Amino acid sequence: MSALYDFLAAPFADFAFMRRALVACAALSIGCGPVGVLLVLRRMSLVGDSMSHAVLPGAAIGFLISGLSLVSMSIGGFIAGLLVALASGLVSRVTQLREDASFAAFYLISIALGVLIVSTRGSNVDLMHVLFGTILAVDDRSLMLVSAIASVSIAVMAVIYRPLIVECFDPGFLRSVGGRGGVYHILFLMLVVLNLVAGFQALGTLMAVGLMVLPAAAARFWAAEVWSLAAVSALIALLAGYVGLLLSYHADLPSGPSIVLTAGVAYVLSLIAGPQGSLRRNLLPQPHYET
Amino acid sequence: MSAAIRLDDLTLGYDRHPAVHHLSGSFGAGSLTAVVGPNGAGKTTLLKAIVGLLRPLAGRIELGSLRRSQIAYLPQQAEIDRSFPISVLDTVLLGLWARTGAFGRVTPAMREAADHALVAVGLAGFETRAVGTLSAGQFQRALFARTLLQDCAVILLDEPFAAIDARTADDLLDLVRRWHREKRTVVVVSHDLDQVRGNFPDTLLVAREPIGWGPTPDVLTPDNLARARAALERWKQDPELCLRGAA
Amino acid sequence: MNRRRLLAALAAAALLLPVGSRAAEKPLKVVATFSVLGDIVKTVGGDHIALTTLVGPDGDAHVFEPTPADAKAVAEADLVFVNGLGLEGWMDRLIQSAGYKGPVAVATSGVKSRVMEEDGATVTDPHAWQDLGNGRLYVANVAAALAAADPKDADDYRAAAAAFTAAIDAKDRWVRAELTAVPDVQRRIITSHDAFGYFGAAYGISFLAPEGVSTDAEPSAAGMAQLVRQMKQENIRIVFFENMTSPKLVETLAKEAGARVGGTLYSDALSPPGGPADSYLKMFDNNVPQLKAAMLGM
Repeated sequence: MSALYDFLAAPFADFAFMRRALVACAALSIGCGPVGVLLVLRRMSLVGDSMSHAVLPGAAIGFLISGLSLVSMSIGGFIAGLLVALASGLVSRVTQLREDASFAAFYLISIALGVLIVSTRGSNVDLMHVLFGTILAVDDRSLMLVSAIASVSIAVMAVIYRPLIVECFDPGFLRSVGGRGGVYHILFLMLVVLNLVAGFQALGTLMAVGLMVLPAAAARFWAAEVWSLAAVSALIALLAGYVGLLLSYHADLPSGPSIVLTAGVAYVLSLIAGPQGSLRRNLLPQPHYET
Repeated sequence: MSAAIRLDDLTLGYDRHPAVHHLSGSFGAGSLTAVVGPNGAGKTTLLKAIVGLLRPLAGRIELGSLRRSQIAYLPQQAEIDRSFPISVLDTVLLGLWARTGAFGRVTPAMREAADHALVAVGLAGFETRAVGTLSAGQFQRALFARTLLQDCAVILLDEPFAAIDARTADDLLDLVRRWHREKRTVVVVSHDLDQVRGNFPDTLLVAREPIGWGPTPDVLTPDNLARARAALERWKQDPELCLRGAA
Repeated sequence: MNRRRLLAALAAAALLLPVGSRAAEKPLKVVATFSVLGDIVKTVGGDHIALTTLVGPDGDAHVFEPTPADAKAVAEADLVFVNGLGLEGWMDRLIQSAGYKGPVAVATSGVKSRVMEEDGATVTDPHAWQDLGNGRLYVANVAAALAAADPKDADDYRAAAAAFTAAIDAKDRWVRAELTAVPDVQRRIITSHDAFGYFGAAYGISFLAPEGVSTDAEPSAAGMAQLVRQMKQENIRIVFFENMTSPKLVETLAKEAGARVGGTLYSDALSPPGGPADSYLKMFDNNVPQLKAAMLGM
């Protein structure tokens, strides 16, 4: 019994940095769960990774204004990410170009701009180090940031839940009953960027994006409604964080990749054997229901 | 019969090429009208414009005292994401948007109304099914249930019977007739001329320009149908500006 | 008769003097790869050289990306100095693409090199300058290269080198004197960069680094935990981070072990002018007192 405790709980009992890492994971999971689910449903899954590059010019401008200040660089990064997201959302609404294509266009422009700005003062190695954290080094400020953003995300998502779903499912209907789908879309994009930038800052790019997309993708094989998808997604993210940290501790593996890989394993297992729409369901014959 | 919707020299299109032009006339209150015409004749465009999704290039749509919230519009299924994880019940409940808005609660009474709607369309027991698991016919029934709940004075349906089985089409046609009996104004875009002749008192035959609008037997003559086909075959490479209707 | 010839000779010599001094006025165009080396070269070369340093103060010579301006400086140089021992992996390519065909002087010729662990592999440790004894070799190599490229000023270079070497010797004696106060059992330091191998070997101090915490690698929780345990056991009170890497990880480590984060140690680059370590010798002025205080548990 004690051996089990040593394995599962002792690392967190003994070390404050492990506890903070776990709490940060929990906060990130709660924020990213719902947001990630809708991101995947809107076919915007690749936005996360691109966003880690799109924030560069904002962070660079923050750096130019007040040096290696985390606050100004984070705010700058958030604004840059938001502009890219909004611009691509706007373009996809007003023109024929789909969202993913216009997003690609804007984020590429953003990177180039960022590299240009950065090259006027110093190398971007410094910037990225300050801007992108690691889960083993979560300080009080980062923890508060991630927690605050998680709370805000949950609150906003709960409020705009219905219109957001309709906007995704049947935008024509929403328009025909006079709902302003555009507003909710923008709010949602803001939440995406907020969660991503906070995640980058607290935990690094790999983890922030990984915990947003992988659990959401895995959840599709377990649940069939948006609210339950969000709950499952958050749970998977949290478990991935816990198991990943244990792996990093007991098997001496880098923490961020361990967590994301655990989430990846969860995805593959769900894909193969989950209760809904998985390979197991599709390939193995099952007794059918009465008509 | 007073007019529910009046069109005044209406021209609709994309990028200066008209999908339909110089359309004048009215849909009488409580009428049941079929809109027919060859492919590309501008029928969907017309419905979209009436419900406010499209701005006219020229001319006007007069709704009188009708508010937009009193017009229900069921587009062709193509624009809906069928794989979205939403249940049949939640889809149907969306019909109450005018009452709940974006944030309002769904009361038990509303829930009951939704149940009735599902029974009316023959989907009793399907409440918790995900829409992705429905057949095309079943999904169309669910959308009809939603439209039922909208309880609107004007109902616009765009090719509601395309790509579904005959049994479902019959059942849904019954629903359309019920709406007509309830004195709602119903406009249905259809390709099935036999169905139109058998069920719709009025017809608007359009092929980019209006060919005929009135009682069905008067409109669906062989002459008119030939004119409609011919109108669409005349596809102009370099169109001149249309000067008709300026007087 | 002899006096007139003497006067003529003097007049001729006087005529030649401006020519000679004009030739001496044109400074030797020298490129040094990074700030520490640059400081040494400048001290020996003095006014006779026009120095361009590629990786400036607070810069990271391991991952430097040269710009076209850098390529231009190299192309037009008369003499290029590199550290060697694998510090500047990018230099060969830069020299080639700039089309520089002149002499390349390796500052670490003759240095007895050490090895270090980097990302799990054993590589040559390039930070030879951290041992002031090697500093003497650097100066000698620099002086020799400058004299070979610019023989007329060889005397000046030799004189400057001698003065500098004397200063280095004095500094070396000072470092050793300072550190005698630290008992053997306490000669341990934790810092986030593997740059102090030569310093540790020369002055008898063990430098420990957090596992895998380098400019890009991600740490593992096991490594962090192990280091924290060790720090607590050995009562290490101060943790340093060096002037280029992310401070967050080291702060977390310090807090966890009940230590505090010490000041900045300069190892791979000098500080900007006016800062606490803007020359080779001042680097030791900055580092040694902090190291001493840390080891004495203050």
